[in-house]
Amino acid sequence: MLLFRGEEHIDRWCSARDLPRAEGATLTPAQGWQLAQAWYKDKVKPQWRRHTLEETEALLADVGLTGPFWNLRKG
Amino acid sequence: MMASASEALSRDVRLYVFRRAAESARVPQPAQIAEALRRPLPDIQEALKQLAAGKVLILAPNDGNIWAANPFCAVPSGFRVEAGGKTYWGICIWDALGIPAALGTDAVIRAPCGDCGQPMSLEVKDGTLAHGEGIIHFAVPAHHWWDNIGFT
Repeated sequence: MLLFRGEEHIDRWCSARDLPRAEGATLTPAQGWQLAQAWYKDKVKPQWRRHTLEETEALLADVGLTGPFWNLRKG
Repeated sequence: MMASASEALSRDVRLYVFRRAAESARVPQPAQIAEALRRPLPDIQEALKQLAAGKVLILAPNDGNIWAANPFCAVPSGFRVEAGGKTYWGICIWDALGIPAALGTDAVIRAPCGDCGQPMSLEVKDGTLAHGEGIIHFAVPAHHWWDNIGFT
């Protein structure tokens, strides 16, 4: 995931790669920080373990990342 | 239930890799890990494969070295993180933000616009995002992230 100066820069980057602009695929830097904290705050600690699917879903929802783009279940 | 010997070694390798990466801003590689843990190199390589299979870290495609013990990238990238007087790298903006999250420290993150390359910066201070610019974009839907984690 990349950082862009603005929407038109994302449009140009996607267009150059024939990638669709998916709805809900962008985050503000504040959301990015919130997501990074939730995801990585324990990674160096001895008791760290991978989040379960349900924990990851809750974590994404807490950051406001919902909808088809953020669906972790295939199908 | 007691952990198996291979599970115990994987745990030791995980703890060593992430602790060293956090403390030194350098991700240790298999030979260094073997020396530090006083274990044969093939055992360490196998433990790293298990950790990679468990998506704890990412191995380089060809040589079995660690590419990223996420959020810490083993090689310089465009996502540069200055924290605690050291320079770290992330493989993406999410991991770059993950470095101060994992370290629990202040940080300044510098990253180029993915389109035009113009430098941008974000700053984490006292556990909050004190400065941020730009928009973060995910090109890959969540359930396909690990199909090709390098592109994601």
